[in-house]
Order: sequence, then C-alpha cells, then structure tokens
Amino acid sequence: MQKFEELNHYEIFEIPINASAFEIRQAYKEALSIYGDDSPISYSFFTEEESKEILGRVEEAFSTLIDQEKRELYNKMLVREKKIDPSSLTKRRQQVPTPLFSSKTHGGAAISKTIIKKRIKDENLKEAEEVILSKDMISGDDLKQLRKTFGVKIEDLFEVTRISVSILEAIENDDFGTLPPTIYLKNFLKAYAELFEVDPKKIIDGYIKNLNYIKGIS
Amino acid sequence: MTHIFAIGGGKGGTGKSFIAANLGVMLAKQGKKVVLVDLDLGAPNLHTMMGLNNLKTGLNNFLNNSVKDLSLTAVPTKIPNLYIISSIRCSLEVGNLFYAQKQKIIRAISQLPTDYVVLDLGAGTTYNTLDFFLASHQGLSVFTPEPTSIQNTVRFIKAVYLRKLKHILKHHAFPTAVKEVGYESDDGVVRSPLDIVDSVMRSDPARAKLLQKELRKLRFKLILNQYRKHIDETLGNKIEKVCNRHFYSQFQFLGNIAYNERVYDSIIARKIFVAKYPYTSTSTDLKNLANKMTGNNVQAPTLKETNAKI
Repeated sequence: MQKFEELNHYEIFEIPINASAFEIRQAYKEALSIYGDDSPISYSFFTEEESKEILGRVEEAFSTLIDQEKRELYNKMLVREKKIDPSSLTKRRQQVPTPLFSSKTHGGAAISKTIIKKRIKDENLKEAEEVILSKDMISGDDLKQLRKTFGVKIEDLFEVTRISVSILEAIENDDFGTLPPTIYLKNFLKAYAELFEVDPKKIIDGYIKNLNYIKGIS
Repeated sequence: MTHIFAIGGGKGGTGKSFIAANLGVMLAKQGKKVVLVDLDLGAPNLHTMMGLNNLKTGLNNFLNNSVKDLSLTAVPTKIPNLYIISSIRCSLEVGNLFYAQKQKIIRAISQLPTDYVVLDLGAGTTYNTLDFFLASHQGLSVFTPEPTSIQNTVRFIKAVYLRKLKHILKHHAFPTAVKEVGYESDDGVVRSPLDIVDSVMRSDPARAKLLQKELRKLRFKLILNQYRKHIDETLGNKIEKVCNRHFYSQFQFLGNIAYNERVYDSIIARKIFVAKYPYTSTSTDLKNLANKMTGNNVQAPTLKETNAKI
C-alpha cells in the first residue's frame, strides 16, 4: 500500500498520465464525493485536520492537472524525478465524433470570414475599394466586381453573412422586383460593405440612388 | 475444516442478526451444513429471527460444562441443514465473558463438524466482539447509509484493526519501546490506529515489512444494508476504496441489500424473511451475497428475469 501523502496527482485520482480533461473532471467529482466537506465517508474516517489536508491535496491535484501549462511543468518534474516513464505522456488517439452539421453546404472548402479579412488587408485590394467609393451611384455590378476582386464566391458570401443567395444575386443584378423592402435591403448592404471593409453609408446611399435611377428609366 | 463467517459492525439496528439468519438459510440452501451461533451475548435474539422459541439447549450448557461437545448444543431449525446455537438461556451476566471462556468458545467453534459457521455478533467494540470477529475466516461489517452508521462502522473497523495490531506486536515480540509507542501517543491516549502503525514503522523500520504483511492478512467484507434507491449506488465501493487506501488490510465491498418494508413484517411474524418472501429484490441480494461469500460467483436471476420465465 502506498501512503496517501506519497501519491502523485494522477494516483490520487487513479487516472492514467495521459488522461483527458474530461477524465480529470470526472475523477475530481468522484474524489469530492469521498473527500469533500459534506461527504459522510470523509466525516467518518478522518479528523477535521486530516480531512482538510486530504481535501487540500485533492484540490491542488485538480488545479494543477486541469491547467495545461501547470500540468506540463508537473509532468516534467515527475519525469525528472524518475517517478513516471516519459513514454506514458504520449497522447492517446481520441476518436473525434462525426459532426452533426457540416458547414460545407455547397461543396468545396467554405471560405471563412477570417480568410476574407486577410485578403482585404492586402494592399493591392485597397485600390478596388477606392474605385467603388469614388462613384456617386453604385450598381449591383460594381458590388459584383468588388466581390470578384477579392476572389469570393457568392456561396461563400452567404456562408459568412447568412444573406440568402437569391437576395445576394438580386442585389448584384439590380433586380428590384425581387429585392426586399428598403429597410432590409439597407441592412444587407451594410453587412456586405462591412465584410469588405468599405464605408457602409456610402455603399447604401450610392446603391439606393442608382436603384432609384434605374426605376426612373423603366 | 469448518469455515467461519462473523457478522459484525459497530452500530446496533443495522441488520446484523437479520443478515446472519438469512445468510445462514441461503448457505443451507446451497446444500451445505450450516450452524448459526448467537454471540450477541448481551442481547441474544437470533432464535426469534429464525422463528424458534423454547430452545432446550444452547451455549449455556457448554459454558457450565453440562455438555462437553459444543456441537451437541446445536438445535435444528425449520430449514434442513441449518442449526442454531443460541445464548438466550445463558446467565444475564454472560455479556461480560471471562477470557478463558471466550478462548474455549472460539476453539470449540473452529472444531464444529459443519461446512459453515455464521457468528452473529453484537454492536459495539468490546474485546469479546472484536476477538470473535478476528477468529473468523471472513469478517463482515454490516452498515446502513446513514452517517451515524458509517461512522460507527469505521470505528468498528479501526477497533478491529487496532486489536489485530496489538496481537501482532505481542506475538512477534516487538521491542518494548516499540510496543509503548503502539499503545500510547503523546497525549497518553490511544489515537487513531493509523498513527500507531506509522509510528511503529518509524521506530522499527526493519520490521515494518513484517507488520505490513501481518496486517494484510486481515480481510474485511463490507455490506450495505437497507439500501434505498435514491442514495448513491457506489457508496459502498467508495468506502471500500478509502479503506484500501488508508489501511494496510484488505477490504471488499460485497454489495447492497435492498430495503424492504416486509423485513419488518417478517420479524413481527417471527418468520424467516427469505423463506416467507423469496421473490423480492432483498432476497435476491441475500442470495447473491451468499454466493459471493462461498466463491460461487453465479448471480441469482433478478426478479424481472424470474417473472419472465414464469
């Protein structure tokens, strides 16, 4: 029998050295039900000082193991003192659950907001923004050009903004028959503009102006 | 040679006699010859649990030398193969047994011509109880889930452990200095036996191994009686774990015995529970307990399975 005072953190919880965070939490919960303040077991077995000391050790073990940095330091110490075999530190292969919902709704890798943002940071693309902002009236085609300069597909745009593809297409084609009421349209345009980091107010004003112009002609 | 089971546990009213009686019945039903001995000398009532009255012979005949052979004082019960040695006719002062008489009883019990002996012990931690418990091959501690009961059981375990420790120190002629450490702490009172083992080991490290080895021979079995559904199912396992971690002896939790209202009815009616209510989860638990204790690890079918067969 090993004395409790001599047990290492893993032995206190009776878990393998490469245990996952989930296993550590479970073991901690179990230990609390034995050594915790309101456990009848701890109450029956130990004096107040003893149970305090034991609980202190349990708490220390948990706070060390659950913190990745502290745990690594602790593991290194154990290896240094030859208390554990370094080979036992290797992570077990964990089975990854199959995701219930896949983000790949349109096939191919979906572009994420961060990737778009990264491209926008690119100096060359600033010019495209300048071009569109210098215009008084902004057509759907201008927006389309802007999007294409960034190399973003309309489906990717949907993934990021969650504005439906049909509305995005209507915006880009100035198809005012299908466009939503102005209040919604303004919001959509705002989202569109914010994504490409161009001034939303200018885009909205320019687009609405252009739209009214087209309506006037037809 | 006969195999002795002792049923003990610190607290009264946890069901020691109930388990002794019904375990005896279950063992007899396995086709083995079983003798129940009521060693709760201060408060004998095992015969009532077995539905017997007016016993002609008992432990008193053996103690007053009117019968030389303990096996002749055994009375058959209503169950075939099951016998009882009661202490109801002993003197009212028998609770304070003399050392020589105690040794005589222990010797005689180990020579009984039977497969199993089940000792029903009293509550508390008097030397008699502890020595009878230590004389058995398997000692069972019965407890219920209340903190009071757990506390007394732990105290009982510690008392048995301490008694065993003292036996070892005496038997293996540890130096007097070590023995003194073993008997008294700084305060002049015996503290926790765990402290004592530690201090003995510190003052005589050479023989620490021997002490550990001897203590390891002590085996406790734990039974949780009156188990109700809403309490932690693993309570017994947790106690087993803590015992194995903090004592040098071996502990094994044998399982929960379900609480049943009808236990009360059976005692009122002075009937054997497992005979009167065989198709209850409590009876199934008792049967599994008997199987585990005899190493016959076949699990009894649960109530549901039995019903399905019918």
